[in-house]
Amino acid sequence: MPILPTLWLRRIFPLAAAVCLTAFANYAGPGGDDVAIVVSPDVPVDNLSFPELRRLMLGEKQYWTSNLHVTLLMRAPGAPEREIVLRTVYQMSEAQFRQYWIAKVFRAEVQSGPRVVYSSEMAGEQALATPGALAFVDAAQVPKGLKVVKINGLMPGQKGYPLH
Amino acid sequence: MRRVFLVMGIAAVLATPSGAQSADPEMRQLVERLMNRIDTLEKRVAELEQQNSATHLAPVSPAAQAAPQTAQTPAIPPSPAEAIAAVHQAHEQAPPLETTAPQAGPTMHIAGFGSMAFSATDLHGPNGGFQPLTLLSTHSGFSEGQFVLQFSSALTSKVSVFSELSLTARSDAGTGSPAAPGFNPEVERLIIRYDWNDYFKISFGRYHTPINYWNTAYHHGTWLQTTIDRPEMTQFGGSFIPVHFVGMLVEGAAPAGGLNLNYNVGLGNGRGQVLSRAGDLGDINNNRAWLVNAFVRPDQLYGLQIGGSVYRDELNPLTGLPGREWIESAHVVWAKETPEFISEFANVSHTPFNGGVTSNSQAFYSQLAYRLPFNQKLWKPYYRFEYIHVPESDVTFRVLVPSFEGSTVGLRYDAASFAAIKVEFRHYIRRDLPSINGAFVATDFTF
Repeated sequence: MPILPTLWLRRIFPLAAAVCLTAFANYAGPGGDDVAIVVSPDVPVDNLSFPELRRLMLGEKQYWTSNLHVTLLMRAPGAPEREIVLRTVYQMSEAQFRQYWIAKVFRAEVQSGPRVVYSSEMAGEQALATPGALAFVDAAQVPKGLKVVKINGLMPGQKGYPLH
Repeated sequence: MRRVFLVMGIAAVLATPSGAQSADPEMRQLVERLMNRIDTLEKRVAELEQQNSATHLAPVSPAAQAAPQTAQTPAIPPSPAEAIAAVHQAHEQAPPLETTAPQAGPTMHIAGFGSMAFSATDLHGPNGGFQPLTLLSTHSGFSEGQFVLQFSSALTSKVSVFSELSLTARSDAGTGSPAAPGFNPEVERLIIRYDWNDYFKISFGRYHTPINYWNTAYHHGTWLQTTIDRPEMTQFGGSFIPVHFVGMLVEGAAPAGGLNLNYNVGLGNGRGQVLSRAGDLGDINNNRAWLVNAFVRPDQLYGLQIGGSVYRDELNPLTGLPGREWIESAHVVWAKETPEFISEFANVSHTPFNGGVTSNSQAFYSQLAYRLPFNQKLWKPYYRFEYIHVPESDVTFRVLVPSFEGSTVGLRYDAASFAAIKVEFRHYIRRDLPSINGAFVATDFTF
């Protein structure tokens, strides 16, 4: 058997197929680019204005109520949802975001930075297990049991929704 | 559906090499090595998950308890880019990012800041009141900046403790007589705070006095600030503004119709007999210093901060006359980096008790910087103009605070995620003394 077809069959074709399938699997369909803001069920909020969301994400608003602390869950660097949130809400680069939280902790304004989660499932599990948790996930993969919060009165997928 | 395609993709990669095992011994060995490695890693993950579930006391939802397999093993793994970034992040040890659930007892977080600098100036006479940390020296050479450690710990969900320790090289901090050079340790900040809610937080301790922006934005973290040094009006060891404050502070924030009003109200010991020092061992008189600080961060102008402060104390200085001190200050900050703009003004008023004239000393600075868009946005040129004027009549400040106007031009290069190199040139015009020109190079970092 010639070398090239053998190489093609053994190595290149499977790799190309895997890449294509993975890319297709990552495509979430229409409206799938939106990022949903989800909170644990005990959070007494159904709708947030975009500035309110920004204050929460910046750690400037730290309490939902006097007895319910906001716990931010942040996807790890590299996640598309994180890039969308950094671009739209924080308006910061990855480096600026890191420096922002180091400075905020150093100023004693917060006890620690956001908790890092590595997948939508992990975000969902942590949000369910943590009172007052706020996380963001791909709108096409909202974990069960969490409350999706409207932003400016809009749900993900609706026209004018700001997180995409 | 996504999971199905992922499994199919991975299976497609693995299937063909395994099907060709008999024809390719090298490939078979490679697959065996990979399978062994996967087994090892799976065992390690299982061990870590067991340890994790044993040590973490965080509340677990009924849903998570009912489906432990799902809770412990995410069905969809993070993307390759996310996994690589997570590994990088772990290596970089980003200090504030919490990756675990809260522990039952206090958990202390530690972070550090440090710097090293080289300076060369044409200063050949008296420095005219500039402090050593300004790096203005009659000799060129290397300087060890402050070694700063930050400790923070949440005692409960509402009570937290924060402290900042520094080690500073000084000419008289060593042993022997006369004292040799050495390092002087100092508790820069020690704060215990109770958070009632966003509107009301009360704390006790030693603070950086919240009566101007720089003092509470950057503290001793030189890596956080764009320039090598602080402005002279808020310099550590300087006397123009009381940098430290011992006492209590009430603070909070309210939306205020989109203005985001923040406030601080403080009561404390005020300055010590050495004006650059706080009243660490108690007040030097029976009169407390107080301060009120307020600033807004409007929603509609994200990045803007505008604020002002008032501070009042009674002084019993070692040099100068006992008297009353009022400080009024204001600041405007555009915190984004394209551009970054910081400007502050302060007026310090001294009125002697014996009926002398009231003197007003003023200081301000304006700093402009811009994060350049090319080369991964690593370069940030900057310029700062600063000015201090102490009138002849202010006998309290006259020998302590330099009167000058100065320009600083420099370039910051973020060489790594947590380290920066800064190159700076300064030109200071001093009253009654020769001007100073200086070149400075520093590397600032956090760890």
